[in-house]
Amino acid sequence: MSDPSEALASAKAAADRIVNVKRLNACLTPIKELRKSLAAQASTAHPSGVLYGMPVAVKDNICTLEFTTSCGSKILEGYRSPYDATAAAKLKAAGALIAGKTNCDEFGMGSSTEHSAYGRTLHPFDKTRVPGGSSGGSAALVAAGAVPAALGSETGGSVRQPASLCGVVGIKPTYGRVSRYGLVAFGSSLDQIGVLGRSVHDAARVLSVISGRDPKDSTCEDRDSLRLPNVPESLQGFVIGVPKEYFPQDLDAAVRRACDRAIRLLRELGAAVREVSLPHTAYAVATYYIIAPAEASSNLARYDGARYGPRFNGSEDVRALYRTTRGDGFGPEVRRRVLVGTYVLSSGYYDAYYRKAQQMRALIAQDFRNVFDRGVDLLFTPTTPTPAFKAGEKLNDPVAMYLSDIFTVTANIAGLPAISVPIGRIKGLPIGGQLIGQAFLEDEMLEAAYALERAVPAAEEA
Amino acid sequence: MSVTHDEVRRIARLAELDVSDEVLPLLGEQMSRILEYVAQINAVPASEGVKPFVPGPDAVRFRADEVKPWPLAFGPAEFAPAFRDGFFLVPKLGQFEDADT
Repeated sequence: MSDPSEALASAKAAADRIVNVKRLNACLTPIKELRKSLAAQASTAHPSGVLYGMPVAVKDNICTLEFTTSCGSKILEGYRSPYDATAAAKLKAAGALIAGKTNCDEFGMGSSTEHSAYGRTLHPFDKTRVPGGSSGGSAALVAAGAVPAALGSETGGSVRQPASLCGVVGIKPTYGRVSRYGLVAFGSSLDQIGVLGRSVHDAARVLSVISGRDPKDSTCEDRDSLRLPNVPESLQGFVIGVPKEYFPQDLDAAVRRACDRAIRLLRELGAAVREVSLPHTAYAVATYYIIAPAEASSNLARYDGARYGPRFNGSEDVRALYRTTRGDGFGPEVRRRVLVGTYVLSSGYYDAYYRKAQQMRALIAQDFRNVFDRGVDLLFTPTTPTPAFKAGEKLNDPVAMYLSDIFTVTANIAGLPAISVPIGRIKGLPIGGQLIGQAFLEDEMLEAAYALERAVPAAEEA
Repeated sequence: MSVTHDEVRRIARLAELDVSDEVLPLLGEQMSRILEYVAQINAVPASEGVKPFVPGPDAVRFRADEVKPWPLAFGPAEFAPAFRDGFFLVPKLGQFEDADT
């Protein structure tokens, strides 16, 4: 596509498709504003860009000059960013169209997109179920066919988990591969912008565009953009490890069947598959739910009613302003995590929780290094322990909700790239398989994902 | 592991967060359950010799130390709740009543 009329047609078609799936509550941008902005973007988009005319929706915690950036929170209701996140700026420079802001768990804290101040997002195939989270709006829009790709963000699996539950591809790049300038911070040692796509190719194209160095983010590595690999004929020469800790006795039988089928296909494609062990996996969720809330309690200290967002309940002094704004502006899950984070960092508890969690993090990262040092190129695991669960099912049990991240948090803890690819259906609901790669070797991971995607009958029952 | 209502209030003060009395029982119960779950990491023997792991570049890269106009599309007056003459306006300072925290 290089003709402005085609870009305009693409913009209009994307807006129409987003209207058609309005019932999902996946897109937070009012439709009139979306139509107007898409038409304006299409008329000024760069025709020579590699994503010219491609509509890409963006999670509501990534700053864009178009549309508000509320992070799914009342505390940032109506907030307009005065700058674009680097990822959004790169998309626009490549000719893509920002196709609205997508619903998410507040500040990225959740696994079901039920913790949004703007209402829950529905699963695209079953409205009684959740699309996963926190990037559930992005996943639902892609799965419903409204956009070919969307940006999400990950702190503990918030791209891959909803990708698995909605039957789309979700990529979490290596920590430092994509600039986080303009990504609203949650857990800074874990956060990464990721991509959801209807295929590995769509997601990888977008990842390639947004990756690469950025002087505005000192945690972004000084590397060129990711070069896309070719689709391989076979996986001859690949060694794929299957960590036994990700296949416990009580794993859902259908998830196990889907994974077994995918592993058989990886073998048939020529990969050598061997069982490996990551012995500290059992402690990953506990480690994550100390480090992430601790970092969140610090990062979210900036929301106090002084500089951005609305103020709540007229306050007579500045201390009361902070407390009422934060007390009324944050939803229950954010409040809970800020309190847990403050608790584990407070005097008397720091060593038993935060310091210990940092040591566990090192051990979990070392587990991965040990396996990769022994000649394993990639790991294959289930992405999620179950398909999409019922709305409300885990809302009152935070620990049960946290455990839906059990297979995804480790890649964030170790800073590794990972991808979820649809590998089958369970009673009609999609389920994903995960490939975890070595740091900055996304090209190898994508090669295997291309091959798996082509081989696996993702629309068939496992 | 049981977090008392007083502990929740103390932590909420540290976090500058209003927590109403009605939600205290549920919040205390949920925080207790979360802290009990995460405390399982203490079952792993002390690992003092383990070098901390932090992802990302090995060293911080600094930008040139030069003054440049900040490239914002619009200024804070557009997004701040109250802004005048280059200042964010807030209510008076008031009393810091809980110096013990």
